[in-house]
Amino acid sequence: MEQLLPRFRAAHTQVLGISVDSIFCHANWAQSLGGISFPLLADFHPKGSVANSYGLYLDDEGITDRATVIIDAGGTVRHASSVTPAGRRNIEELAELCDSIDTEHGAGLPDFPVPEGIGKVHALFVKSNCGFSRKAMLARENLHLQNELPLKNVTEDPKAREDLVRLSGKDQAPCLMIEGNPIQESDEIVRYLVNCATDLG
Amino acid sequence: MISVGQQAPGLELPDHLDRIVSLDQFAGKRHVMLLFYPLDFTPT
Repeated sequence: MEQLLPRFRAAHTQVLGISVDSIFCHANWAQSLGGISFPLLADFHPKGSVANSYGLYLDDEGITDRATVIIDAGGTVRHASSVTPAGRRNIEELAELCDSIDTEHGAGLPDFPVPEGIGKVHALFVKSNCGFSRKAMLARENLHLQNELPLKNVTEDPKAREDLVRLSGKDQAPCLMIEGNPIQESDEIVRYLVNCATDLG
Repeated sequence: MISVGQQAPGLELPDHLDRIVSLDQFAGKRHVMLLFYPLDFTPT
């Protein structure tokens, strides 16, 4: 799916994944797949309430059906189909469907913005066995920033710890060093990376 | 399951990158493809 995002973007289509899992579960799963940058939504509390409003929550099992709903920019449902929980979606077919929906209903829609990129960065400093560090690392991978943003583990690498203290003035990780300025709060780090790297409107 | 031609029910949920995502934010700008799936760590 992630590889085909450019095709959906070209068809003015925002892809959103949705299940009853939590955002933490989503972030770990997304990273295990090689990184997912489009939103994985947590229909977690109250469990399955959005799926329920689309008639796609399977009450007996406590899960969501494997189903696809395409909504045009005016908010009207143009496609709804299920492949059952055990089935597999045909992404290629869905891409073609989005093309034709866009041809019919997409006149005058703006193109997706191009992300700014991360610019001049020193590094992301992290600690081992630290939930906040892990959160920042997962965001880095889900946003495919591994090449642009070097990772330095201050637990494993004494040189990295020296660098961290010299650059930020503190022995505190996670820390994102941007052009000489430290960001030391994991939520803020994630927000900064998201703003640089995604085209979500 | 919801039917073609109906108005899509609104939604506003958090995502795995700490964003709050709603259908409203795409109104008039983008179509939206919702991929419902049973559970993480299963195929999409």
